[in-house]
Amino acid sequence: MKAPPFEYHRPSSLDEALGLLAELDEAKILAGGQSLLPLMSLRLGRPEHVVDIGDLGILDSLVVEPDGSVRVGALVTHRQVETSAEVAAHAPLLHAAAPMIGHRPIRTRGTVCGSIAHADPAAEMPAVALACNAAITAVSSRAAREIAAADFFEGYLQTVIEPDEIVTRVQFGPWPRHRRGAVVEQSRRSGDYAIIGLACWLDIEDNTITDAALSFFGVSDTPIRVAEAEDVLRGQAPTQSTFSAAGRTAAGVLRPTSDIHASANYRRHLAAVLTERGLAKATAESGETR
Amino acid sequence: MRLVGQSVKRVEDDRLLRGTGRYVADVNPPGVLHAVFVRSTFAHARIVSIDAAAAGRSPGVVRIYTGAEINAMSYPMLPMLMLPDLYTPLVKALSDDKVRMVGDPVAVVLANSRAEAEDAAELVEVEYDPLDAVPDIATGLRSDSAQLWEKADGNVLYDHADTFGEVDAVFASADRVITERFSSHRQSNQPIETRGTVIEVDPVTGHLTVHGATQTSHMLRWGIAAYAGKRRIRESLKSLATKKERRAAFLTAAKKFTTDNADALKQSDNAGAAHQIKRDKSTLLHMNRMGLELLGQEDFPTVVAQDIGGGFGAKGAVAREDIALATAAIDLGRSVKWIEDRIENLTDGGHAREEDIEISIAVDDDGTMRGMKVDLVIDHGAYPAWPIGASLASAIMKVMFPGAYRFEAFSMRSRLVATNKGKYVAYRGPWANETWARERIIDVVARELRMSPAEIRLKNMYGPEDMPAAMLTGPTLDETMSTRATLERAIELIDRDELASLKADAEANGRRLGLGLACYHEAAPGPPNYNDAISPGSGALSNETARTVVESDGSIIAYTSQMPHGQSHETTYAQVVADEMGVGIDDVKLVWGNTDKTPFSALGTGGSRGGPLGGGAIKYASREVRRLVAEKAASMLEASVDDIEIVDGNIHVAGVPSRGLTYGEVAGAVATLDGEAFSHNQDYRGKGDGGWSCATHVCMVDIDLETGTVQIPRYFVVEDCGPIINPAIVDGQVRGGVAQGIGAVLYESAVFDTEANPQTTTYMDYLMPSATEIPEIEVHHLETLSPGGENDFRGVGEGGMIGAPAAITNAIEHALAPLGAKVTDQYLPPTKILELAGIIDPDRSSGSS
Ligand SMILES: Cc1cc2nc3c(=O)[nH]c(=O)nc-3n(C[C@H](O)[C@H](O)[C@H](O)COP(=O)(O)OP(=O)(O)OC[C@H]3O[C@@H](n4cnc5c(N)ncnc54)[C@H](O)[C@@H]3O)c2cc1C
Repeated sequence: MKAPPFEYHRPSSLDEALGLLAELDEAKILAGGQSLLPLMSLRLGRPEHVVDIGDLGILDSLVVEPDGSVRVGALVTHRQVETSAEVAAHAPLLHAAAPMIGHRPIRTRGTVCGSIAHADPAAEMPAVALACNAAITAVSSRAAREIAAADFFEGYLQTVIEPDEIVTRVQFGPWPRHRRGAVVEQSRRSGDYAIIGLACWLDIEDNTITDAALSFFGVSDTPIRVAEAEDVLRGQAPTQSTFSAAGRTAAGVLRPTSDIHASANYRRHLAAVLTERGLAKATAESGETR
Repeated sequence: MRLVGQSVKRVEDDRLLRGTGRYVADVNPPGVLHAVFVRSTFAHARIVSIDAAAAGRSPGVVRIYTGAEINAMSYPMLPMLMLPDLYTPLVKALSDDKVRMVGDPVAVVLANSRAEAEDAAELVEVEYDPLDAVPDIATGLRSDSAQLWEKADGNVLYDHADTFGEVDAVFASADRVITERFSSHRQSNQPIETRGTVIEVDPVTGHLTVHGATQTSHMLRWGIAAYAGKRRIRESLKSLATKKERRAAFLTAAKKFTTDNADALKQSDNAGAAHQIKRDKSTLLHMNRMGLELLGQEDFPTVVAQDIGGGFGAKGAVAREDIALATAAIDLGRSVKWIEDRIENLTDGGHAREEDIEISIAVDDDGTMRGMKVDLVIDHGAYPAWPIGASLASAIMKVMFPGAYRFEAFSMRSRLVATNKGKYVAYRGPWANETWARERIIDVVARELRMSPAEIRLKNMYGPEDMPAAMLTGPTLDETMSTRATLERAIELIDRDELASLKADAEANGRRLGLGLACYHEAAPGPPNYNDAISPGSGALSNETARTVVESDGSIIAYTSQMPHGQSHETTYAQVVADEMGVGIDDVKLVWGNTDKTPFSALGTGGSRGGPLGGGAIKYASREVRRLVAEKAASMLEASVDDIEIVDGNIHVAGVPSRGLTYGEVAGAVATLDGEAFSHNQDYRGKGDGGWSCATHVCMVDIDLETGTVQIPRYFVVEDCGPIINPAIVDGQVRGGVAQGIGAVLYESAVFDTEANPQTTTYMDYLMPSATEIPEIEVHHLETLSPGGENDFRGVGEGGMIGAPAAITNAIEHALAPLGAKVTDQYLPPTKILELAGIIDPDRSSGSS
């Protein structure tokens, strides 16, 4: 389990990094290394060049903007997000998801942006980004662009990011006052990737659900929102029976597959269970009644 | 204060926890080459050609050996345990004509670094001609399945039946017969430290020092001497003819062995060997050649093993890789090193327990269990583990199947089926599935007869009033078979009221509570006739030898042939020696693992032998040395030896401690050439009858019917391993075993697809329970003494793993039975739990968990 030969680069400025990415073939960005390095050690990933962005101080900021949106720079780790009171207040789903990722040593190295760029369909952060329709900023020596999370994920470990682009940050829009959210998941052991998980929120005004998001992970080749189930919620009172109806719809729409950890039927059943549990948790924690 | 019986802190912890332990991966002889094996990507295929030319030009590569090259310089590994009706294929170090599993080694690359060796290994081009794969027992039993071993009967390597008592009559006369089929999944003994071997070659003399992570240092030494680095027969003959001393030494050793083991050897029959030779005549030829090789060899390798990060049976063997590495090292005259990686380890580091068991109980309506019939089929994997694997497990299962119950009759058919998967090795309590299947069906029987699980067990179990008795299968039982006492104590410890309220609470919240128990006894080491019941004469290997020394400066050193790899021998043996010698624990040094220094033992550490046999040998060796010291002190103090006391290292006449001598002073007064003032070698084979360790496990499960998650709010074990050397260490052994049992049922499964491709080759897929998955495990002790026995210690290393799968699966069935569930599989992940509860359907396309 040794990586095949590769050349290591550690640029000291963003421009230098972008220059390297523009110039080199088969280059990979190294952030926390918690996904890239295991893949290389297993010889499943074979980049010829590794561009370590660890020295790009410009990317390490975690900032709450005046409008309440939360900007997460490329070097911000899961652990920083997990332990930040600001994040808890302004991006509660991000904060709720972080402790579910691996174990603490992994979270102290792994980055939020790295997780989103890596796009493991069973990972928490991509599903949270999708639930919140976060804005992902990608920069290359050619241009900079902002991509909505809804347009970002293309397939298993695949995104719209080009080989010469760096994700410099992900921005979570302001969290409305009447929004309640939760992240729930089922995994085989504590710290494992989820067999299936759900990042969800409800906007509740006058005991009526005005808007909703159900963003599942571990059930498709990307994180996936189930619009049909969200529709079931809109306009209804936030009750157990509403949640159950949405859960049934989600279970009916999703087409998960089997693997050695769980059967497709199990995942489908859990989609309903987690919808109920996630929405109940979101509303319970806010003091809203079911 | 006596140390035996106290929870003395582990003396090895300081070293290990500070990171100053020395494992085989830490050994780097100058100029060592790193080995990487080229392994088959096919489960079953003919090797058409191997082209290593490009790989040979890869940076850092020193040499690449193909299977054919290594095999030309080594002997195939020969069967050790030969049972009637068993055919054990001879195994070459590397495969050269055919591969039989994914991961089968076909070549070895030696390079200046591990990374360079891995780079080159990828460039070795092997052309395969694929054959149909045998992925499971059912395929292996089909007459048209592709055959792994041409000299076998299809893919069946062993098909043997034994009958004890009038089985047909008992089954005909019983009120009912209850039959069930159980299936246990493939599991892997997972040590934190993978396997690894460094062969160090002395550049001047060519002497080999083998640094290994091994449970059996002497076996490894002999295995490498016998199989690696073939010499010309003529040279062996010549050296044998000319070296009179060698011949004489060998004859003396052989004579001692036959005298010491006269009884055991008289028992042994040749039916097993005859069967093996009939199937494969070359067995005899290779045996003779290898014998000559051993006799003609002057310089045997030294094995040195220091700290070992666990084994659980997987390191109790000589690996094919070891033979290939030693052969390459001898040929090149250079040191080589191989540290197995986790993919290799999960593929072929050792698998176990994949078994189908059909079991029938003949029972009367009053709950009297009268007869049992068992049909066992073991998924043997491709290659036999050396020296023991599936065949031994089946033989022990046969002996232990009736358990602590008074059956009138018992019969069992055992089959081993070869499949294209990793080898089946001994795994902590290798026979444990007899306990699992028996304790499972007893619950089934109880439910059918509307009795409680405890009631039916108590009704049928031997009690102290029955002793002495004998198991139907042979072994003598005495008071140390105290399973019933452990069950009675366990029943007292169950709080029925608490259980009822927890159960009601669970049911009100979409959960189900269940309680399961399991009872067993195990030979630890068991009475002498236990070995004969397994295989007549096998007791010949059970001797343990220890040696205690007082050096001229008064240092006390004890040498053991045990191979600690997590059992805390350094602490427990020091406790025993310190008590015998009248010194503190820090005054005793334990030496193990260096075959130049430690006494011979064929088996090393395994089979619950460390406490009773290794511990007994070291105790009596120390006692004799104390006597020698006291004699010398008596003459120095001008007193009678009977009046000498040794307290806290002060050797004095009773009542006059102020005029005492130190060990240094007494030892210093003895003239020696080798620095050893006093020493004694002690052989020990156990105290005779007895030697049973027993336990009852009780597990409570709390099952979430929405997610299939199984929680264990309470787990306790009532165990009886006789007098305890160190209670904290016993607790640790029991808890570790239970943790593996929890892993077995809820998390761990070595999965192969329908083409026999392994699916669980990293820890993302093979799920080891971690600290967060293991509940608090209470351990309660009974300490039954055997009648008139000194040195009554009994083994406790394996029991936790033997009882746990049965207790957990029984609890799960208890919880889910009201929903119509019947648990016949041992592996119960969340998907399976919800299927059993009728909440989800199995996927239509099979192939999932
Ligand atoms: C034992 C273990 C358990 C884990 N459990 C979980 C879990 O339960 N849930 C979970 O979500 N994750 C889990 N992870 C993965 C972890 O969350 C990683 O941190 C994360 O997936 C990737 O982040 P990273 O910073 O480590 O990225 P890296 O490993 O450095 O990179 C991952 C990929 O993203 C690319 N990349 C990284 N940063 C950027 C960037 N700024 N711009 C463009 N591309 C970039 C890299 O080129 C690479 O292809 C686990 C990891 C381990 C080792």
